[in-house]
Amino acid sequence: MADPREVRLEDLPGPKSREELEDMKAPYEEYCRKIFDVGNEFIKPGALEGIRWLSCTMYIFTPHAVANLGELGAEIIKIEFPRVADPMRHTSPFNECYYYPLHDTRPKSGTGIGVLNANVNEYYISLDYHRKEAQEVLHKLVKMSDGLTECYRPGTFDRWKQSYRYLQEINPRFIYVWGGGFGYGPKAFGGSYDILGQSHAGLASITGFHEDFGGHPTKHSNWCIDWYSGTQITVAILAALYWRRKTGLGTMIEFSQVQAATRCIGYGVPLYGRFGVVRQRWGNWDTQLCVHGIIICGKSDYPDEKNPQLRNEARYVMVSAFNDPDFKELCTVIKRMDLYEKYKTHKERVRAEAQVEIYQEIEKWAADKSRSEVARILTEAGVLAMPVKNDKEVYESEHFRQRGTVRWMDDPMLGDVVVQSTYSAGLLSETPRRKFWDFRPVGADNVKIYHELLGYPVSTVQEWYDKGII
Amino acid sequence: MCDIIWCKKCNTVNYLDPYCFWNWKGKVKCAECGEVYYIHMIQGHMYKGPEPRPGEKPDILPLYADKPYDGYTNYPPGVEGKTRPYNCTPRHIYLGRADQRKFSIRNRPMRAWPQPPSTGIAGSAGFYWDIKKLTPEVWEEYQEKIKRGEVRDW
Repeated sequence: MADPREVRLEDLPGPKSREELEDMKAPYEEYCRKIFDVGNEFIKPGALEGIRWLSCTMYIFTPHAVANLGELGAEIIKIEFPRVADPMRHTSPFNECYYYPLHDTRPKSGTGIGVLNANVNEYYISLDYHRKEAQEVLHKLVKMSDGLTECYRPGTFDRWKQSYRYLQEINPRFIYVWGGGFGYGPKAFGGSYDILGQSHAGLASITGFHEDFGGHPTKHSNWCIDWYSGTQITVAILAALYWRRKTGLGTMIEFSQVQAATRCIGYGVPLYGRFGVVRQRWGNWDTQLCVHGIIICGKSDYPDEKNPQLRNEARYVMVSAFNDPDFKELCTVIKRMDLYEKYKTHKERVRAEAQVEIYQEIEKWAADKSRSEVARILTEAGVLAMPVKNDKEVYESEHFRQRGTVRWMDDPMLGDVVVQSTYSAGLLSETPRRKFWDFRPVGADNVKIYHELLGYPVSTVQEWYDKGII
Repeated sequence: MCDIIWCKKCNTVNYLDPYCFWNWKGKVKCAECGEVYYIHMIQGHMYKGPEPRPGEKPDILPLYADKPYDGYTNYPPGVEGKTRPYNCTPRHIYLGRADQRKFSIRNRPMRAWPQPPSTGIAGSAGFYWDIKKLTPEVWEEYQEKIKRGEVRDW
């Protein structure tokens, strides 16, 4: 009887050669290219056209919740504090990039690059909610808008008499979003940061290598929980819009960022609940699968580069060969069939001691090879392997370019700029996401909104500006 | 929240780092003139101070400081005796002044240098950047690049 672990290509369904593969995928490929038509998004309508949303948000988390709506066609009015503006404008690499004067009173400070992608396609106005005149303006905007997202400490907008319970009195269809750290409850006044979410929700504790391997709980370098939680809010908003369509009523969405992050810990909490086991972190390997991890190679792909991020760190490859035939192939490639004989079943391989031995042996094999060599050899042998890419390689990736994930645009304010966020969130054939512009100076649309939309005379708008109300 | 101590003596803004100062009391030295201020913060709110305490020994230095009306030329983090040192120093390319480049990596014009102040009504600065009209020298340089075949699609 044939070994059931042996898989022969001819027994499998599907194409048997590269040519056959190309032939088989051609019709679908052609269809997708036609309906998604990368680069021609602007001739199509936006799904959320007709929705007007107010964004009283800062940093990345809550702004991104609204930017999603903006990319999908909604009209967004971002309200910033006069002169101070969204602090994210100053939280970025190089601190200040001198893009544009923040405000007349601070002519030499600009807006940093960190704010990119978080407030797409929005109109920028300024308003100091503390002032008496501001309330009337805000109420007028609420009457003609579909919703608002804010990120102040819980109860702050309530104290200012502009929370959901006040605003629904003037617009019962209004959808109100509070997004922040902990929400009501024992830590109502706790603020939030992405890193706080990662820590409080237990995510950092299962990320990174174990202390036995010299590791520590690790936060993700980028603010992934900010981006993630923002998107979750958008999901809630879309549900609220649908609910409103059925009932005619608004909703209040109360969204705690640290709460959202618990969703990312997967089976961790259920595991504890059933077995009392506290999940441990296992670094670049996997507690459930082996081989399924990231290994280090001996040589860099860019040995002569000046930048250490390229010269020293372009040495990692992701390898996945956890099922038996793949693992056998991997052992054949690294000329360690004895490992295959020793750990023939996945159950044996996935044990901690086995993983330590197996990954060590793969890394020994890769010690005299570069990252791309390892990826090429393994891929040719039919094993899934992919270099751990850096930003430069993401930019250069043909896959991302063809699908329009990463692309250049001529931003009206920034000039030539690479964008990725808008087009990374799925392709829609009829109503694709679009990016018209990224951000604008503080109060850039004050006249457009206060005068043209709300009908205040320009002299009043100027007076508010002189008094610091806007 | 990141609070500041705005030194009225020398008009310098001393920035306090939120993680260190969330719940904190003590004395901070102004990076420019060396005046010592006492502050007491509770849950990120300035509960007391800043009160000048001339002549007293400071507990800590500000994270960084600037003089807003003079631009960002003063005290980045890690200036000895003025701002707090970096124990874990970022690589040199992340420190110091930003590169004020005119062209992106594919040699098309971008806008990353000090801009003129706005002239619009109520701070409504125009944001559309007409390169040819507003920065003719960059436009000229761009035309040269096109002629030399340096402008790429990617």
